[in-house]
Amino acid sequence: MFRLEAKKPSLCKSEPLTSERVRATLSVLKGVLTSCYGPSGRLKQLHNGLGGSVRTTSQSSALLANLSVTHPILKILTTSVQNHVSCFSDCGLFTGILCCNLIENVHRMGLTPTTAIKLNKHLLSLCTSYLKSEVCGCRIPVNFSSTQILLCLVRSVLTSKPACMLTRKEIEHISTLILRAFLLTIPENTKDHIILGKSIIVPLKGQRVIDSTVLPGILIEMSEVQLMKILPFKKSDSFKVALFRVSLSGDLSDTGEGTVVVNYGVSLENAVLDQLLNLGRQLVGDHVDLVMCQKVIHPSLKQFLSMHHVTAIDRVGVALMEPLSKMTGTQPIGSLSSISPSSYGSVKDLCTEKFGFKWFFHLIPNEETVCSLLLGNRNDTVWDELKLTCETALHVLQLTIKEPCVLLGGGCTETHLAAYIRHQILHWKTREENNTCKYKTLNKPESILKDGWCTQTELQLTTEAFCSALESLTGSLEHDGGEILTDMKYGHLWSVQADSPSVVHWPDLLSRCGCGLYSSQEELNWSFLRSAQRPFAPQPCLPHEAVGSANNLTLDCFTAKLSGLKVAVETANLILDLSYIIEDKN
Amino acid sequence: MAAAGSVKAALQVAEVLETIMSSCLGPEGRQILCTKPTGEVLLSRDGSRLLEALHLDHPMARVMVACVSSHLRKTGDGAKTFIIFLCHLLRELHAVTDKGKDSFISKNIQTHERHWKNCCQWKYISQALLTFQTQILDYVMDHYLSRHFLSIFSSSTEERMLRRSSFELLLETYFCGRVGRNNHSFISELMCDYFFKCMACESEFEEVFELVDDYFVELNIGVTGLPVADSRIVAGLVLHRDFSVYCPADGDIRIVLATETIQPVFSTSGSEFILNSEAQFQTSQFWIVERTKAIMKYLQTQNVKLLLSSVKQPDLVIYYAELNGISVVECLSSEEISLIQRITSLSPFVLPQASSHHEVLNTAVVKFCKPLILRSKRYAHLGLISTCSFIPHCIVLCGPVQGLVQQHEDALHGAFKMLQQIFKDLDLNYMTQISDQNYTSNPLIYKTRESNQSSELVNDSIQRTYQGIDVKNKDELAKTQTYLKVYSNVVIPSVELEACISCSTPKVTPTDTYQADKTLRCLSANPRMIDDHDPFIVSDPTTDSTTENTRIEISYKNVLITKIAGIGNMLPERCKSLEVSSSQSYCFSSIPAGCVLPVGGNFEILLHYYLLNYAKKSQRSEATLVSVIIANALLSIPQILYKSKKGNHSFPQIYIRTLRALQANQPVVSSQTGLESVSGKYQVLTSVLQCLTKILTIDLVISIKRQPQKIHDQDSEEEL
Repeated sequence: MFRLEAKKPSLCKSEPLTSERVRATLSVLKGVLTSCYGPSGRLKQLHNGLGGSVRTTSQSSALLANLSVTHPILKILTTSVQNHVSCFSDCGLFTGILCCNLIENVHRMGLTPTTAIKLNKHLLSLCTSYLKSEVCGCRIPVNFSSTQILLCLVRSVLTSKPACMLTRKEIEHISTLILRAFLLTIPENTKDHIILGKSIIVPLKGQRVIDSTVLPGILIEMSEVQLMKILPFKKSDSFKVALFRVSLSGDLSDTGEGTVVVNYGVSLENAVLDQLLNLGRQLVGDHVDLVMCQKVIHPSLKQFLSMHHVTAIDRVGVALMEPLSKMTGTQPIGSLSSISPSSYGSVKDLCTEKFGFKWFFHLIPNEETVCSLLLGNRNDTVWDELKLTCETALHVLQLTIKEPCVLLGGGCTETHLAAYIRHQILHWKTREENNTCKYKTLNKPESILKDGWCTQTELQLTTEAFCSALESLTGSLEHDGGEILTDMKYGHLWSVQADSPSVVHWPDLLSRCGCGLYSSQEELNWSFLRSAQRPFAPQPCLPHEAVGSANNLTLDCFTAKLSGLKVAVETANLILDLSYIIEDKN
Repeated sequence: MAAAGSVKAALQVAEVLETIMSSCLGPEGRQILCTKPTGEVLLSRDGSRLLEALHLDHPMARVMVACVSSHLRKTGDGAKTFIIFLCHLLRELHAVTDKGKDSFISKNIQTHERHWKNCCQWKYISQALLTFQTQILDYVMDHYLSRHFLSIFSSSTEERMLRRSSFELLLETYFCGRVGRNNHSFISELMCDYFFKCMACESEFEEVFELVDDYFVELNIGVTGLPVADSRIVAGLVLHRDFSVYCPADGDIRIVLATETIQPVFSTSGSEFILNSEAQFQTSQFWIVERTKAIMKYLQTQNVKLLLSSVKQPDLVIYYAELNGISVVECLSSEEISLIQRITSLSPFVLPQASSHHEVLNTAVVKFCKPLILRSKRYAHLGLISTCSFIPHCIVLCGPVQGLVQQHEDALHGAFKMLQQIFKDLDLNYMTQISDQNYTSNPLIYKTRESNQSSELVNDSIQRTYQGIDVKNKDELAKTQTYLKVYSNVVIPSVELEACISCSTPKVTPTDTYQADKTLRCLSANPRMIDDHDPFIVSDPTTDSTTENTRIEISYKNVLITKIAGIGNMLPERCKSLEVSSSQSYCFSSIPAGCVLPVGGNFEILLHYYLLNYAKKSQRSEATLVSVIIANALLSIPQILYKSKKGNHSFPQIYIRTLRALQANQPVVSSQTGLESVSGKYQVLTSVLQCLTKILTIDLVISIKRQPQKIHDQDSEEEL
């Protein structure tokens, strides 16, 4: 215990959430996150006062990585969002805002944290079981025979990131490129399980977005001089490739723990060089056309190889090793002598490409599972943002292959879900009597009440807190002072311009709902989202014809959103459950 | 600088700690957030972790923390209960002395003198506490409380079998105090599944506990960014490394362990390699390559598909491994290697000397070997086939933040420690002073409960006092309650006692209680000599008919051997009283392994009741006082547990119901499901009493300026 003397005692604070300061910081964070949300979200400029690059972004991953928060509660919240983003790439802002909303609402309603936590968990399981069920009214199964839905999904990801600064035409172009890049990574002849290839994003900073393109195979950037040296390639329909993991620079490998004594006059350099040239002879003898090395190739060996018309490329780097060996079918060689013929691979063709001022060496594979996505954008910061967005879109597509369904975007899923939950909780009694219960849910509300740890009022209040957290999340999609409406049939979201006349015929003002599935020409009733609503049962089971006809839907990734919802509620529960904070001041 | 050490100061400190601890006690407890100076954020409900995080400064607080940590080193559980007990004991003591102050000390004595007087008084009380702990507490535990004990073993056979349902209840209780409210049932189910999946054979669960405890870090994987509900158990062993080379393989997959590089090197440590020519260098390099190639080829012919290495293998080895279709996992930690060795009893691969490939290669078979991807990180996943009683499984723990994953990891690890504790017998190992002159003349050092020693002693004392020995079933005692009736039965001469003790198998814990009692009368009236080497069988039919199933296991393990002391040495009143704990007795008893009670303050209320009962009957005033104080302090735990409950489940209601049931001799019905260890509770209580005596005996706190001496430094090595 005496060692502790040197340490300062910790600071212990009770009931952290009741403090005004904590609430204020939470609402600041919420403000930052909400203002970024959605296609019309505001951008944030991150810059260091001492100089360096400036980053303009509206994405949670870039924002939170650069934001240094000090309060432990905020730290929990932001790391939780960051961890979610690193798993799913998407729905980071959604998670963060929902979590803030939940905490705020529970506090505003004056609920005791203990019951709120338990009830939140029940409501969450109600949500997840509904979203996973067949009758879910906001889930669309993905049909892989047409690219329509996948394209909509990619387009939604791109439109929700305004910091990429893309025009409508550019969005179309980039989303097709992303989808093509993704489809190229799917192997053609699959067995039991698919192993996806890789799409490598190659920077073309300073080029126009429209010049971006997708090429099969791998591009290795080179200076023009270097490239001219290895030109011209011979004409052939297949090139034999050797890929080296071990360094070919002629350095001595590990000699063990003991000492090695070299007598005077013995030149190890010559010995190693002899060995390298022997290797070169073997490669030439094996009719290898292209030699690539992760590390450095000795100039003499390079010279030797080029004399025999073997192309040699070194310093490939560890990042490209795996795609290279996958694409060419080589085994990375770790030996300087006796190379097994089975470790050679092949490529279909070699050529050079020039984009802007950059020269690339292009390897075209026989079987296309690796492709390069060449991305251009006007400047560095916009390019960074676009790259991040493309990675997100590619990841989202991968997740969608695993779980082939998507959720309606544009806030419609959230309002629909809120309407569903409200209806479930408030009308379970009447439903029970009329026996019209259509949905089988895991946790019936009556079982919550029967256990006796919460009252009917507490249940209703928590439900209200939960649902309004979801609804105000969709409300933050609107940044220009417009109003948010919801219809009383599907529970979808509709937004109105700010300066619209007050009493009008709604169908004239509204055109399509948030996700674009329904048009205002149907006979619908609308109400303001903020106003008190009469609970209604949103119509389950999407009509197939509606999905088929609409070709410009806003969609969200199912897996990412579901997990985001769970993580948001869990994190909010965690924060609400805190009774003390012990801060180590050392 | 010197400050008066007093109950008041200690109470103030304890009250502060208590408010923190009580907020996270029990199933309704809340979380506490701890930040580290490194910026890490940790969630915790673990008492010891919180006390550590507080970095307490106050000398009294440091004494308490030191006591808690020494308690935790012994048992690993109960830090929160410790602090709350201690606080309430201090509060009771403070209240008692406040009341009595006027009568004790006249007003005109100066404060300083009064302080010294007080300290003398505290010393007196602390001695009373010690006597209480060694004499009364164990006696009450043994005689009254034991009748309520349940066991978590299922069958009545000698073999101890775990019963899954009670095991679940036990774990649920543990996790209620350790993890967040929404997760305890999930985590306890996970742990229960894990345990039963890992156990190859029901009777060897102790080995599983030990192994999981030793290699806990290697057996679980934390994943952040996913909801907690995604946590799961995976069959096989997941190594915290990726494959360096992965070659898909099925069928008969054999593995080898390497602890050194397979590629030969120029010179090993301590040797010198002299290069005379370039040709020599090239030849030796060529030899190295050929040698590596040959070894890897040899491994392939032996059907080896996976090479596990604790060191980084050179590129050459990796290359030849890939050529020969051998997957490689490198840089394994020494713990991982030793875990694999323990599961498969595989010894590391020894490089064959020269070209002799005829040595037997040590390989083990795995069912599968494949990469496992968790949150875009790849792990090597092996389906090891176990040769011991542990079937390898790993826990994947998910959570939105690292702090939560860490909390769950700690809780699971703690649960294994707790289970290890519960399956040990706990001796109520104490010896009271004997007033009997026969005994005091005989210097008896009686610490162990080895059977020969005890039988020697028994023989010895029997020769002296010429008494009979009564062997009877303890549980029967609990059941029938009337003392005289119980003492009916098997009387065997001293010769048989030896046999009786030696025939008690290691599984059976003999509980030897030598009691002086007035039952002597009835025993001496009809001394029976039964030549029976197995007293268990004798008591069998009666217990079967009278006791419930759950009690039977206990009854087999607890044999009460009663020795009747000389009547002449006893005071008349003592003889008449039913209480046996008076100074003429030797008591060695134990709480058998696996003893549990229902949760929800059952232990505390029961002990409270019996202590009050005892206090009523006791003649000595200080014993009464101490018993009442402790009995009242005991109620603090159920009070906190039921704080948020209303109506029928509120604390007063539960308390009154339990007391009524006890008075009417009805079984106590608990509203809570869940079980907790009796020995754990008992140990907390004794540790608290020891801590309290330590605090009470301090009269002055002197702060010193110079460095603490070396001796203390060694103590501080073992932090909480």
